[in-house]
Amino acid sequence: MKKAVLTLIAAATLWGYGDGAVYWAPHGCDEGKAAASKHGGHGKGESAMFALMNRDGNASAQLILPDLSAKPLSFKRNTVMLPKPPMGGYYAVVAEGNGTNTVFSAVRYLSLQGRPSKISPTKLTALSKSVLEIVPDPLHREHDRYTASKSYRFVLRFHDQVLANTAVSLQTHNTPAQTVTTDGAGKFTITLPDDFKNVRIGRSENKPSEFLLTAQYREGETLYQSSLSMPYSLNPNDYWQSQSYGAGAIFIGFLGGIFLYRRSKTKGAKRG
Amino acid sequence: MDKLLTLTALRRVIQLTAFVFFVYGAMIFATFYTGDKLTQSLPALSCAYDQSGGDFCALIPLQHQMDHRVSSIFTQGEKVLPALMGTLITLGTVAVLILILNKAFCGWLCPLGFFQETIGMIGTKLGLTQMGTLSRETITKIRPIKWFIFLFLVLILPLLTGIGFLGHEWGNPYCSICPSRIMTTAMTGDMSQVYISQANWGYFALSLIADLLFGLMIALALFVRAPFCRICPILPMQTLFKKIGLLRLVKNGSSSCESCGNCVKACPMDIYEIQESAENKNITHADCTLCGRCIEFCPHDGVMNFKYGPVTILSSSKEGFKKRTKIDKWWRG
Repeated sequence: MKKAVLTLIAAATLWGYGDGAVYWAPHGCDEGKAAASKHGGHGKGESAMFALMNRDGNASAQLILPDLSAKPLSFKRNTVMLPKPPMGGYYAVVAEGNGTNTVFSAVRYLSLQGRPSKISPTKLTALSKSVLEIVPDPLHREHDRYTASKSYRFVLRFHDQVLANTAVSLQTHNTPAQTVTTDGAGKFTITLPDDFKNVRIGRSENKPSEFLLTAQYREGETLYQSSLSMPYSLNPNDYWQSQSYGAGAIFIGFLGGIFLYRRSKTKGAKRG
Repeated sequence: MDKLLTLTALRRVIQLTAFVFFVYGAMIFATFYTGDKLTQSLPALSCAYDQSGGDFCALIPLQHQMDHRVSSIFTQGEKVLPALMGTLITLGTVAVLILILNKAFCGWLCPLGFFQETIGMIGTKLGLTQMGTLSRETITKIRPIKWFIFLFLVLILPLLTGIGFLGHEWGNPYCSICPSRIMTTAMTGDMSQVYISQANWGYFALSLIADLLFGLMIALALFVRAPFCRICPILPMQTLFKKIGLLRLVKNGSSSCESCGNCVKACPMDIYEIQESAENKNITHADCTLCGRCIEFCPHDGVMNFKYGPVTILSSSKEGFKKRTKIDKWWRG
């Protein structure tokens, strides 16, 4: 028992978000993210600066535009600054690189405002961006965002083919890594944890957090690693919104209608 | 089989198809328009909150534009034309769509309209006494409500929010109470829109009204025709452009019209005005949804007509009336 407790304490102490994985994170100094959290869903105020965490020396980065064209991004230390978006829609920030017997990649999607590109975001997700890739299935839509306590589906691809029965790790800043396994079609579903701290009433009062999906696959001597990092918001239904009261109010409204029905029948009978 | 070949049967097929497209469109099609709903504002309640949907109604961009763009004229001294450009584009889109289908968006395509009619059919089959035509007095009282909702909940309150007089909860107050938001999301298995918010009094009031209204609408739809359509703010918006609509209801009435009243009894919106005599006159009323039931139930040849531009596409007839009455009796058992 004592050993188990010590192991747990050691694990909790040693655990760190994204430990070792290469992933994109909004730059801490960038105020854009804070602005985005105030009014999410349109990409207005979306962060323009991203850091490639645990970056290896030879990593390269590119921005894939909604029209599927690519623009190289240059690193300043481990950060990249996105150019002014030439069109509205969904963008992907992609980093790739390799080390000794390893190939790594990191992907992040953004929704930015501008003149619509008229190209489906499904084409952006379908586009092969790295050898091993975690792909949202589908990418959340305008007016939507990744939200705690909700489930989302992804696909794991390797060389453009789905990768079945492979472990994928999900972690957030406040919840240690948990593992899910892809099904026969390479798909897996995660439920984002409700792990926000110091929650204040009102969605705009709470900054989004980050979740990180990582996967690895070995082929021969080479280990392929990939990550997908995205922001997620707290779910008001976990805090200041009550769904059971909502259902109760609908029921009361329904009873009101039934009361009107009975009254109309009584009136009709009197008239008749 | 011939029994089923009526305008209402055709309308049901189109309504069902539209319902599937608008509520589940993005699950079936993966085009730009259905994939992320960045465009296409419809003059019908196709909800933007439905993440599987194929489109959205024009009321959500209108509220957002009032809140975020038009308000900038007052808050940032923005020039009028750039600030109004988004609104003008939305209204222009609606005008083009009204030109093509006029108010048939309500009677033929609106998912919430179809939902209410389906509940009405269930009510009929459950043997609930149907209320029939509402009195003129009741109709007169109800009619201004939709204008009030359109002016205040769609335009004025979002604008005041953008200027800073009201809290963020009043930025899209119509969507906050719209039954289509609850219905379309629930139809995709997403129950997250059923809630009472305790964030502040504004959110609380709006969420309570939304849930009460949704429950009330379902119960009323069991015995009253189109209960929510009567106060829907889409109708005023369509009314602004109904003069340019190519599809319209034209009456070439006989002297027996006022004593007959079949058209009013058939009208789900209880528009008494359509029984008044008229000679080759466009009688598409502000409340009309162009469902065509008045044409089906008119017993006189050529009195009630659907016209598309100069072309008559459907006319009332004795034969049609007999057939439709027979089907109605069969349906009601």
